[in-house]
Amino acid sequence: MSTESPVGDNFTKVAAADEIEQGTGIAVDVKGIEVAVFNTGDDFYAILNRCAHQQAPLYKAGEEKINAEDTWTDTRGGVDAENATVSCPWHLWEWDLETGEHEVTGKCISTFDVEVADGDVYVSI
Amino acid sequence: MGSSTEQLDPEAEVPEQAFEDYIIDLDFHVNPMTDELMSYVEDDVIRDKLTTEFGPTPVVGKWDAAYAIKEGTEGLYTQGRAEYAEDVREACKKFAIDEPIVNPGINNLNQQHHPLLKNGVTQAANDYMLDNFADEGMYTSMMVPKWDPEYAVEEIERVGSEDNIAAAYSWFDPKVPWGAEQFDPVFEALVEHDLPLLLHGSLAYWPQHTHIGDEMMTWTEVLGFDWPIHGMVNVVNMIMRGVFDRFPDLNVVLQEAGHWWVPFLRYRMDEFYEMHPEDVKITPRKHEAGERYLDRTPSEYLRDNFYLCTQPFAMPRNAGEAEGMLNLSLAEDMFIYSSDWPHQTLDPPTWFYTSRAFDDDTRQAILHENAEDILRL
Repeated sequence: MSTESPVGDNFTKVAAADEIEQGTGIAVDVKGIEVAVFNTGDDFYAILNRCAHQQAPLYKAGEEKINAEDTWTDTRGGVDAENATVSCPWHLWEWDLETGEHEVTGKCISTFDVEVADGDVYVSI
Repeated sequence: MGSSTEQLDPEAEVPEQAFEDYIIDLDFHVNPMTDELMSYVEDDVIRDKLTTEFGPTPVVGKWDAAYAIKEGTEGLYTQGRAEYAEDVREACKKFAIDEPIVNPGINNLNQQHHPLLKNGVTQAANDYMLDNFADEGMYTSMMVPKWDPEYAVEEIERVGSEDNIAAAYSWFDPKVPWGAEQFDPVFEALVEHDLPLLLHGSLAYWPQHTHIGDEMMTWTEVLGFDWPIHGMVNVVNMIMRGVFDRFPDLNVVLQEAGHWWVPFLRYRMDEFYEMHPEDVKITPRKHEAGERYLDRTPSEYLRDNFYLCTQPFAMPRNAGEAEGMLNLSLAEDMFIYSSDWPHQTLDPPTWFYTSRAFDDDTRQAILHENAEDILRL
């Protein structure tokens, strides 16, 4: 049963907005669909959680690497706020958070509408 | 009354079934910090030269993956940098890898210039791996210096019997192929110590400053095809020069040499050998033994003495086509799973659960049984 939504019946609450730190994502199972929800700092985005390449969980993008201080970048993949993209934590495939498109291959994965109301994040499946 | 949402397990990045299977990863790279690695060099003169401002591996290759990856050289550390055993265990947990076979991953060592300095790095790397991995209960592949077979034997004698040394690690490359007779003492030592020879791609690439080498400008050509070509050259060279007639118990594993070329080699080697066998008797081992032909058909050596790591698996999406390729490639006999952690070419064990091409026998053979058959565990 869905949590009651102030933004419409089609939307499901997935988290409090302050639970998703800027530049990171969470993964939720919404009605049987794995959804990654990212906070770019400018906005919240929801996209299918599984990379079309090899089924990596996209929400891990931005996770700190093991011994990150001894590498040149700190994170496994990451969120690019300026371009509204997410890079896969396994192989850096870059997905457009608005369209769900991977530019190199032209492949697309699903994106979902997101609303923020009363400090909570809602996703429409 | 429950919510319709549920947060997913952050510890698991691969399908649940992977956690139920026993998975051995034959190519897990450790990357010691240079200063600590150099502290293990025993010879003072060599350590002094290795710790100049140029570092222990100053010679660079002509091509670099950095041009092909958005994060540049960070492609070497896309997942992080494992320095100690606990780092490896943390990395393996999320990928359902039960038994990583770690190596010190200094794959550009082979293309460096000075043999004594390279031997110094080899000694240091083997001692670092013993201290920080083998002694911590983690299976390790020891480094074998291809450029100096005499020292390779010394190092196998020194390190090869230590607990948790499960394999020997060297490189296939565009230099002297492994069928050359100079490697016989190395093969003898490996067989004596019951260690398989793992041959990883080397950053030495295609012979540089050649017509073909100079015209390769993309990583897809270099890593994607140069390495498999040299892998195939080494396999055929070892078979046709009679290595396995002299050392029938020697097992060789190619890492990052590709694997879908097995059908090509199987049928082409047999066709050519059976039509043109009269030059085998003038290869040095056969001539010395007074033998005229190979003991077996070439494809039998391929199946019996060689194994191929699967990373990157590059499966056809069509399960029927993939199953056909697995069968033709003798996957159940020859393939061994490898992740290549932490590089951008990482291959978590997803294919075995997302493709219907695998029956359980093939899946278990690739994930652990073939590795168990040859590693000293």
